[in-house]
Amino acid sequence: MISSAVPSVLKDNVRELIPTAKILVVGAGGIGCEVLKNLALSGFSDIEIIDLDTIDVSNLNRQFLFRKEHVGKSKAEVAKESILNYNPDISIKAYHDSITSQEYGVNFFKRFSVVLNALDNRAARNHVNRMCLAADVPLIESGTAGYSGQVQFIKKGVTQCYECQPKPPQKSFPGCTIRNTPSEPVHCIVWAKHLFNQLFGEDDPDQDVSPDTADPEAAGSVANNLHQSTDAGNVQRTSTRQWAQQTDYSDVKLFNKFFNDDINYLLSMENLWKSRKPPEPITWEAATACEGEKKEISDDVASDMEVWPMYLCAEIFSSTIGTLKKELVNKEFLIWDKDDKVALNFVTACANIRAHIFSIAKKSRWDIKSIAGNIIPAIATTNAMIAGLVVLIAFRVLAEDYEECQSIYLRQKSVHSNIILAPDFFIDKANPNCYVCAEQPYVSVYVNVEEMTVKEFESEVLKKTLNMIAPDVILDGKGVFVISSEEGETEINNDKKLSALGIVDGSILKADDFLQNYNLTIGITNYIAEKDEPLFKIDAKSEELQPNQQNGRQNGSTDKSAQQENDMEVDDDKNDVEFIAPPVDDDDPQEGTSTKKRKLNPPEDEDEDLIMLDDP
Amino acid sequence: MSEKELSAAEAELYDRQIRLWGIESQSRLRAANVLLIGIRGLGSEIAKNILLSGINSLTILDEGVVTENELLQNFLLNRDSIGQKIAEAVLSKAQALNPLVKITTDTSPLSEKTSAFYKDFTIIVATGLTTKQLIEIDSICRDFNVQFICGDVFGMFGYSLSDFQMHEYYVDQIRLPNRKRAHDGKASTSSEVITEKIQAKLNYPSINDALLNADSSAKGRRKRGLQLYYLMKLLIQFRDKNGRNPSVSSKDDDLAQMKAIRNEYLQDYQIKEENFKADVLNLVFGEITPICSIVGGVVAQEVIKAVSHKEAPIHNIFLLNPYTFSGKEEMVGA
Ligand SMILES: [Zn+2]
Repeated sequence: MISSAVPSVLKDNVRELIPTAKILVVGAGGIGCEVLKNLALSGFSDIEIIDLDTIDVSNLNRQFLFRKEHVGKSKAEVAKESILNYNPDISIKAYHDSITSQEYGVNFFKRFSVVLNALDNRAARNHVNRMCLAADVPLIESGTAGYSGQVQFIKKGVTQCYECQPKPPQKSFPGCTIRNTPSEPVHCIVWAKHLFNQLFGEDDPDQDVSPDTADPEAAGSVANNLHQSTDAGNVQRTSTRQWAQQTDYSDVKLFNKFFNDDINYLLSMENLWKSRKPPEPITWEAATACEGEKKEISDDVASDMEVWPMYLCAEIFSSTIGTLKKELVNKEFLIWDKDDKVALNFVTACANIRAHIFSIAKKSRWDIKSIAGNIIPAIATTNAMIAGLVVLIAFRVLAEDYEECQSIYLRQKSVHSNIILAPDFFIDKANPNCYVCAEQPYVSVYVNVEEMTVKEFESEVLKKTLNMIAPDVILDGKGVFVISSEEGETEINNDKKLSALGIVDGSILKADDFLQNYNLTIGITNYIAEKDEPLFKIDAKSEELQPNQQNGRQNGSTDKSAQQENDMEVDDDKNDVEFIAPPVDDDDPQEGTSTKKRKLNPPEDEDEDLIMLDDP
Repeated sequence: MSEKELSAAEAELYDRQIRLWGIESQSRLRAANVLLIGIRGLGSEIAKNILLSGINSLTILDEGVVTENELLQNFLLNRDSIGQKIAEAVLSKAQALNPLVKITTDTSPLSEKTSAFYKDFTIIVATGLTTKQLIEIDSICRDFNVQFICGDVFGMFGYSLSDFQMHEYYVDQIRLPNRKRAHDGKASTSSEVITEKIQAKLNYPSINDALLNADSSAKGRRKRGLQLYYLMKLLIQFRDKNGRNPSVSSKDDDLAQMKAIRNEYLQDYQIKEENFKADVLNLVFGEITPICSIVGGVVAQEVIKAVSHKEAPIHNIFLLNPYTFSGKEEMVGA
């Protein structure tokens, strides 16, 4: 029997399918809560919800199934209870777990009529995309950021997959910019986070904070020849951590090293400053003697948005070091967390002292939290609109009316456009060279085979970049077992360079991820990174992979620059990111509006109202 | 109305939206007193969104009683609510959405309200009203400088219609740093992003002009874009006549009535047959939750813009296409 909650205007076949359709909602965050409500009030009665997260106070302005007393509890569990409170007859199952865990294999996904993604990070989105392709289950992908959002339907053999179009890589900054020549506030913030990790966090050699003597721009400077013997602390192989411990975390000594001695050392790398304003070192004595309005730091927003004067930065540098040192006593290391006041104060102070030295604009703690924590603003209204579209598309997916499941973009109303919800005209066809959904997935990897170890290849290339979970890799034609997902089988290879296993320019690797049911052929090209270039690169087969420009869209392709701003390497604050790729932002008239707008707005005559489609 | 600064607890709760619309907008929201007329499917969505945004107070006016049907499209209710006054039945779940907002419920009939009742609100949001009611309340709003927005969901179709009178607002425009310098490799100038506050104004036609005097302003090609406007007008007219929305339980009669109104419109407004097909009338039954979710998001966002005077608002009608789900702004009545 069709529940009376099923909308009566839908076609009969959909109405019959809704009450028994099995729906998986991945993510119970901002979009997830709204989707669950829309499902429950549209007659869906067999729902499963999975989310790894627990509830945080900052979720409550939009994740309306949760309340203050739920803070700290499982999102999936509380969302389930909340839906059952509305209608106890709905069958809803909650998993407080990661969707990428081994338990949720292809057979788990095969049970569902449709999967609805309401995720906050790209890695999980890529994974669910592959699982749905492998299980041949339709997927509805969605994301929001601030006032913008989008919904995209994905089905094997019918549409693009989530990974068909290359996404811009996570933004990262060259080491020498961070260590030697910062020019933007974000460079100082990244440096300050690295400093936190050097002093208190887990050891990571990529997060060195001392002057980078290998900076090619500095080549020929006098200091370069002297650095072996200097005592500035930057080039000896004693780690920053050991050195700090030897000083018993003396605030004065640490301050003078990072903000005076190291800066003097940088100044000695004269070539760096031929066309730049040289930094001005500052000592502890000078910093604490700086004039400045006397201030207390308090927690209200107004004072959070003020920029601290220098003397206060120095004071806070000192007091936070004292606190963090104590916190470290019984721990191996501390983990930086934007919601930890002391850690955030430390980073704010250090970033601003460094900004002062390099004549870069200082930032308030409020702004630094956004940047360092990679916080993407999120509001209830945007999530509600996107979640409404998700369920409307789900109706059409159940009816198998795939041609009517175009992507839809929500854009902020602006004076330049009167379109707020903009559907594409057509569904996007799959990229034949996609390294995920193509018949024979293939990708080229450019890597220095003499330098990269097997372990790095597994973690950086296969897992972090190609998003595999547990890959098995063999060297094609040689039968060499390079990486095994079984523990203990190939550990012996970990520290070997790729070339030591016979992986050289032109080698072919066969990678197989059993969980994702994903086989990928990898062509290796030897490549030596130049300054400011990434250590390795990946490239799907051809030029055709460029984001498509003219496929009859109303709204155009995703905006790379906007996404880069959000996807910073700095930190992945998964709690706060409900995001895939914001639609083109045509609000800024400075950004080549004329060409963009012509593409965005449909020709005047193309009036899509009422006449565009037949009855759904 | 409290003039105090936002507390640390409020800052924490509203953090993710303050980072979007700024502290000034949040303070204005915090001072806003909102009247919501009608808390059914769409009304419950609007209530949710504006409660979450952190307004000062919400008054919910609805004289209706919870029926089985009402329960199906309102997540602020549950089975125990049946038989209660809707405005009272939603209170506990509405309050739980945001304990900081003062919520008042009012179950008296709209017809008993005098202009004194409306004058102290910052903004009035209405759903489910007739043409006459809309025009009357809007004219009171104009007298007392109260902002007004209404909206409805009919099946797969939905709209909003606003009268923010002479509305002044600002947008933050970001000036990007000079990129030329950054590319020549020598640059070391700070690439600070500068935000400029741009002031703007919009003059809204009254609801009376938007609903009754539209044709004078819409001519030729422009008129073709307004088919959904005429659908909206037709549905309000149906409601005016029947005192209710089209209902599945009387589908055939209601369809016949709507088709008759459509035929009049084709004549009166010289709309081409193929531009306003009768088929669309099959889609206007029921208050479909995902549509309420979209329109409720739009209306609440307009309330936030109206109250905070930040960002360009919709001027003056939003129309959701029931086939393509395209959502467009149309300017009607000015
Ligand atoms: Zn693909």
